[in-house]
Amino acid sequence: MAGTNHLGRKLWQTLSSIRTGVILLIVVVIVAAAGTMILQRPITDTDEMQRTYSPQVLRALDALQLTDVYHAWWFILLMVLVSCSIVAASIQRFPNSWRYFSRPYKSPNDSFRHSLATQATISIEDEEAGVLAAASALRKLGYKPDLVTTEKHVSLFAERHRVSELAVYVVHASLLLIFMGGIIDGLFGWSGFVALTPGQQSSKIEMRNGTVRTLPFAVRCDSAGQENYADGSPKRWWSKLAIVQDGQDVRNKEIVVNDPLVYRAVRFYQASYGPTGKVEKITFSVRQANGEGTPRDIALAPEQQVQLDADTSVVLAEFIPDYVVRDNQVYTRSQSVDNPAVHLVVESKRSARPVNIWLPPIEGFAENALSTYVFEPQDLQMGHYTGLQVSHEPGQWGVWSGVVLMGIGLAFVFYLVHTRYWVVPVRDAHGHPGLWVGGTANRNREAFEENFKQLVEEIEAKLKAESAALARLHTMSMAGN
Amino acid sequence: MARARVEQQPAAGTTLIVGVGLSIAFLLFMAFLNVVKSGNLLNESNLLFAALIFYSGAGALYLGFGVTGTESYVRFASLATWAGLLANTGAVAHRWYAAGHPPFASIYEMLLSFVWTLAVLTLIAEKRFGVKVIGTVTMPVAIVGVVLMQLLPSEVRPLVPALQSTWLHVHVTLAMLAYAACALSFALAMMFLIQDQVKTETFLAATSFTSVAIYTAIVLTRFEKWGALNVIAWDPQRKSELFLAKGMRLFVSIPDLGWLMLMVFAAVAAPFAIYAYARARKDETLFATANRAVFISILLQVVALAVFFVRVRDGMYPSLDADGLFATNLATSPFILSGLVGSIFVSLMYLLLLWRREDLQELLPDAASLDRITYKTIAIAFPLLTLMIAAGAYWANRTWGSYWSWDPKETWAAITWLVYAGYLHMRITRGWRGRRAAYFAILGFAVVMFTFFGVTYLLPGLHAYA
Repeated sequence: MAGTNHLGRKLWQTLSSIRTGVILLIVVVIVAAAGTMILQRPITDTDEMQRTYSPQVLRALDALQLTDVYHAWWFILLMVLVSCSIVAASIQRFPNSWRYFSRPYKSPNDSFRHSLATQATISIEDEEAGVLAAASALRKLGYKPDLVTTEKHVSLFAERHRVSELAVYVVHASLLLIFMGGIIDGLFGWSGFVALTPGQQSSKIEMRNGTVRTLPFAVRCDSAGQENYADGSPKRWWSKLAIVQDGQDVRNKEIVVNDPLVYRAVRFYQASYGPTGKVEKITFSVRQANGEGTPRDIALAPEQQVQLDADTSVVLAEFIPDYVVRDNQVYTRSQSVDNPAVHLVVESKRSARPVNIWLPPIEGFAENALSTYVFEPQDLQMGHYTGLQVSHEPGQWGVWSGVVLMGIGLAFVFYLVHTRYWVVPVRDAHGHPGLWVGGTANRNREAFEENFKQLVEEIEAKLKAESAALARLHTMSMAGN
Repeated sequence: MARARVEQQPAAGTTLIVGVGLSIAFLLFMAFLNVVKSGNLLNESNLLFAALIFYSGAGALYLGFGVTGTESYVRFASLATWAGLLANTGAVAHRWYAAGHPPFASIYEMLLSFVWTLAVLTLIAEKRFGVKVIGTVTMPVAIVGVVLMQLLPSEVRPLVPALQSTWLHVHVTLAMLAYAACALSFALAMMFLIQDQVKTETFLAATSFTSVAIYTAIVLTRFEKWGALNVIAWDPQRKSELFLAKGMRLFVSIPDLGWLMLMVFAAVAAPFAIYAYARARKDETLFATANRAVFISILLQVVALAVFFVRVRDGMYPSLDADGLFATNLATSPFILSGLVGSIFVSLMYLLLLWRREDLQELLPDAASLDRITYKTIAIAFPLLTLMIAAGAYWANRTWGSYWSWDPKETWAAITWLVYAGYLHMRITRGWRGRRAAYFAILGFAVVMFTFFGVTYLLPGLHAYA
């Protein structure tokens, strides 16, 4: 029993020591730095991983979870250890600080007075007058001195910014709050992606790991777009979104890159915007091949059939954004609209079979001459999708409150100094009365030493003025006699 | 000997001031001729050029003060710094006006703001705290900054959507202030080490180790078979780097430059090796040999820089990954360039220390106050770093959908924060003062520099803007 107790104490001491804290910090620094040097799986393509590392190295890195350092179990363990160390160190030191804070040391004993670094003794005539002079000097410096009455004498105690003793615990607590928020997000938070074309609605979010999460509501994109600068670089992406719950729109918002939509702690961010590679609408100018009638414009969506006259109709059969002809076949080379081809099919009751029209007329495929109508493409509208990043971070409020708390704590730590002054009437070896003045500051000792000197000078000046007045009074009364 | 120097002082004092003054006037005159020819007086590059001239003058005068201790140098040095700051402010204002947003959006604009903050802080440290020689360290950093700016792509680019946020300005302002405060604490820690009479050999070890590290990095990452040096290709028409595929830059090999780098690597390694040998054998006489080796290495480094400059600016070079010849540009290799310049700068700093006057100590504040001011600047830098990271996280949360994504820049900012947190803990709870604290402050600044430059050019990530 004593053995385990001993071991426990040992463990506690190790955990709460500054040395352990600093060693843990160094380990965190090394591991975090390693994570920026080694390619990380969550943000790198699998191809690139394989290009960069040989299979053996990659296997080893994966086994050690070095390809996803920040989510590895041992990294989380390390963070937990750091948290424990902060908690233990704070608990170890807190009682002492709390004593300072809750029970100010008001009447110093002889040994304390002896060992204090900053002190001075001023010779005085009268105890009471001396203490009063010191009290008024302290007040002049902006302190509110306490009169401390003991059986032997009346002394003074004054202090400022006592709260500074506790500020470091505020900083440590704020750090724990931030960690806690991070851990909650790590456990219960998620983040995914959904791509919507205008008019589309979805409640299925694709997670980073490939699984799909279904939300209890759906998001619909009403419209989306991109605005460019004069030089063609993107200026703004926007999407008009609606949240649909039980068939009703419950929230509408136009989101842009820096301004997400939040609904029930799920946030939708504008992440990307781009062409789907599919056509939305093509406008053609149509006229009869024999030159009769006036030309007119028709708009065709894919697979859409439009009547040209009572007998004839046309359908947009295919749109190829970037076509190439090889081995007597028309292929799609890429999704960028560099070299488009349109395939229309004209059906007419007057002709035996449908006529294939290709724009441009691809040799071997196009039967444009057989058609009774001539088509000229006027305008092409490509479909666009808007990419939304969707995330849920229930722990972020812990993080933000931690950040605010840390700001306050750091301001207190660095810019508030706990200063204390004591004034005690004493008698020297010959029985002559003196005023012992002592003080401490927990930070910025140099400025404090200056202030202390100022205080002593102030007291001396007050005493001198008083004794001069006294002497004048004395001579006056003498003269009166 | 010391006496003779004191007697010479007035004459020597005027010489440097007159010399620097004349060269400033000459350079300004030449620049003016150029301006008259182009008919455009107050544009950004002219203002920057003026700032460069004044900062260089100030740097020379500060260095002169560091070596000779002539008081009048400092007066003129701060005058030159004021003039440089004025021109720099003009450049910042011009940029701000032309771009329509504060100059924080690219690494060029960040450098512009950084140099400005550094000059302001130098003047504050000098006037407020009486640290007169601080300019010997900060002015060369400012000069390197302005020179780098000349090489980086500087055209005003419109803000990409992610950068259109007030939080950008909050985040970057805080970063600039924090990093400049870190630079100041570094300079003060260096002053402290000089004042604390650290042995010259220790500085030799540190400076030559830095140079060795820089050249090791260059040779290891860029040396190509048969002695060539790989640099990123440049497209002169589009004024951008050349890419093979998305995210894959095209490298060209400059023949023979690799051998030169390898040779300079050997030259900078020599003083370090001699130092290590002397330490092991406890043979003090060898340090003189090591100092001579430093001279030689500086000469070779200057040659390497010059050759690198010339060969990168002109000429077409083959690539291992594509057919044909390609051009390259200094703008594609800012990391190599700042490495080369930085290494020369570090070696020159060592020479300055070697030639220091015995009474340099009297010119600096005493060691205790330097130690204290170093701590104070870090006490200012640390809360700023904290707020900078917090503002960045908040902004990221609005833009990327997550307040923390372990992006390399984020991670390194956190590492910087941890290093300074370590410094504060050691100082407050363990009472670390003096040399150990100074080394810690220097380490902190090295990490800051890596976060600022190293991450941008070496590690890929979301922070692609800067």
